[in-house]
Amino acid sequence: MTEGLSDTELVAAFKGGDVEALGALMERHKAALYGYLLRVTKRADAAEDIFQEVFLKLVHNPGAYGEREKFKAWLFTVARNAAMDYFRRESSRRALACAEGDAPVYGEEEAPSRLDSAASPEPGPQEALENKQLGERIAAALDKLSDDQREIFHLRHYSELSFKEIAEMLGLPIGTVLARMSRAAARLREELEKAAQ
Amino acid sequence: MNCEYGEKLILHFYGEAGDGLASEVEAHLKGCASCRDALAALAAAEALLSKETPLPSEAVLQAVMRQARAAAHKPLFVWSWAETALAGAMAAAFLLVFAFAPQSASPDLAWNSGLDSGLDSVEYSMDQSRSELTASSGDWDYNYGVLSAEEQALSAEEV
Repeated sequence: MTEGLSDTELVAAFKGGDVEALGALMERHKAALYGYLLRVTKRADAAEDIFQEVFLKLVHNPGAYGEREKFKAWLFTVARNAAMDYFRRESSRRALACAEGDAPVYGEEEAPSRLDSAASPEPGPQEALENKQLGERIAAALDKLSDDQREIFHLRHYSELSFKEIAEMLGLPIGTVLARMSRAAARLREELEKAAQ
Repeated sequence: MNCEYGEKLILHFYGEAGDGLASEVEAHLKGCASCRDALAALAAAEALLSKETPLPSEAVLQAVMRQARAAAHKPLFVWSWAETALAGAMAAAFLLVFAFAPQSASPDLAWNSGLDSGLDSVEYSMDQSRSELTASSGDWDYNYGVLSAEEQALSAEEV
């Protein structure tokens, strides 16, 4: 019943009391939004918390989405802001832990393995090994990008918004967004070339 | 990718370049190995991310739906028929009161209301107080002058 409806129509239906419309929205965007949050936070529990927080914002304050912008742009803007809040909290928590002489509870090196363990469906042993090695090299190259470059790369991949929409979301000129993305591509090439030598 | 095609290349790769720009970039790519390699690296990174399809747990989705159902049963501002009727009756009552209540049509309401005479009496009282204060001040000056004269006389006698 909700299949043919646009995001905006689903939000309107939810505002009108149709709770299942929210379920349809979550179903439609869960892979992209959760994938983005997992990539950004590198923690499954944090990604799930933020995912929930984003949709609960719509539940408790339906007017927060003004329907003038694309729903996906709103969704990723809220998710990005919540992720930034998460990093601020983590930063404070780690600073406090360091001040108290405790070792950090976890670091970026403890990123969930489920991110990089994905492989093409049922490859042979040799192919699986090569895929794994290539995947590791690419993941390492992505880690070498600057935060600004990586943010735009992730937003473009997961949200599938245009660069113009991403520029509006970030409050940046589109030229800046494209320049960062261009430098990201150049850096990826350099890192993969280094890894291949 | 040190040439000037970096941003155009990005638009082309993501399908955001117009037809003219796309042809221009295609022509450039034929002669620029650096740009081809950059695109290949970008494509590899995109492919890696596309392979991964992590999903949130069902528990998270159910938690959101539970809260949504709970919120739906507690509407923030929904008028019932009884509330609507009550609001209408109150509005009508206000209108009737203002429509038929006796009104003073005089535009110089302040002059006829006694307000002005009241203000006059306040002003008069203030004037009286000021006069009394001035008078007492004069008395004080006079008394002080007498005392000073007496003091000077006594000093002269002592000398």
